[in-house]
Amino acid sequence: MERKPAWLKVTYNQQEVEQIAGMMQAMGLHTVCREANCPNMGECYKKHTATFMILGSRCTRNCRFCNVTHGRPEPVDPAEPQHVADAAKALGLRHVVVTCVTRDDLPDGGAGQFAATISAIRRTVPGATVEVLISDMQGRTDSLDTVIAAGPDVINHNLETVPQLYAQVRPQAVYQRSLDVLRYVKQKAPHILTKTGIMVGLGETDEQIYALMRDVRAVGCDILTIGQYLQPSERHVALQAYITPEKFAEYKQKGEEMGFRYVASGPLVRSSYKAQEALRGL
Amino acid sequence: MKTEIRMPRLNADMKDGMLARWNKQTGDAVQQGEILCEIETDKVVSEIEASCSGTVAQLCAQEGDRVPVGQVIAVVEG
Repeated sequence: MERKPAWLKVTYNQQEVEQIAGMMQAMGLHTVCREANCPNMGECYKKHTATFMILGSRCTRNCRFCNVTHGRPEPVDPAEPQHVADAAKALGLRHVVVTCVTRDDLPDGGAGQFAATISAIRRTVPGATVEVLISDMQGRTDSLDTVIAAGPDVINHNLETVPQLYAQVRPQAVYQRSLDVLRYVKQKAPHILTKTGIMVGLGETDEQIYALMRDVRAVGCDILTIGQYLQPSERHVALQAYITPEKFAEYKQKGEEMGFRYVASGPLVRSSYKAQEALRGL
Repeated sequence: MKTEIRMPRLNADMKDGMLARWNKQTGDAVQQGEILCEIETDKVVSEIEASCSGTVAQLCAQEGDRVPVGQVIAVVEG
């Protein structure tokens, strides 16, 4: 195994992780932290924060970078929204981040479950802010309307990588469709913050990244996250480069110059990592 | 009381981890929450916090060793 650069270091406390993981399991909940083998899980769980993953644990797409299981999806659990809300309350969260597996099998792409989850959180944890990290919902505006109508504070949809790499990294997605999701949300609900994230280290060039950033600004997106791609296994798309912290700082500066309201850029930045700090920083 | 410290499962798919570095040696005092060692997996290097306080009685793996999840890597007495 190639040795990791010194900056890819995280802390881990087994007792803290087991406590949160046990609670999630007892409530029948999934977190993207665990399903995606997020390197920040130890740190986030220690702070009693987690990103909930709704609509089951099996994804109908098979993106080449992602560790979430691909397969036949589970039936939608009508109790899941309230369980998420109850867990958020038990954890004492003031900012609740909810994501999902992509559900191309559902006519609404899971929008109704998102709306129910947002409503449950609003009822159960009054005063908490809510961020949803949604799939592209196949670009269906009626599905996006359902999510918007539920009134989250932030709608995030990740572009994940530059368009030149979609065929290798995200073959079932469409770059323009993802941009259109961000554009539609901002046009329909300017008061909702929009957010997107990308991974670097997949072989993209700086100019491709900057072109993507310009595209994202052009659709009015407020928040950008940039993090290092970490290859989950040999089955996944190959890592091409470890990007240095100095280069991440350059990306952040460039993003701020372009007018993003907030840019989180660093090796271990993930789309929901320290999301509360991002929101408070605005 | 002796406490066995085992190779943690740092992610759901992990079968083993590489013991990259010991931050404590045999005979050293260790406090709960202090970094005991660093373990390298597919994605990152994880600094492992000690789950108890005491004296390191035994290190059961050497730096560079690949150790299966669940195998004892150290014994702390305290």
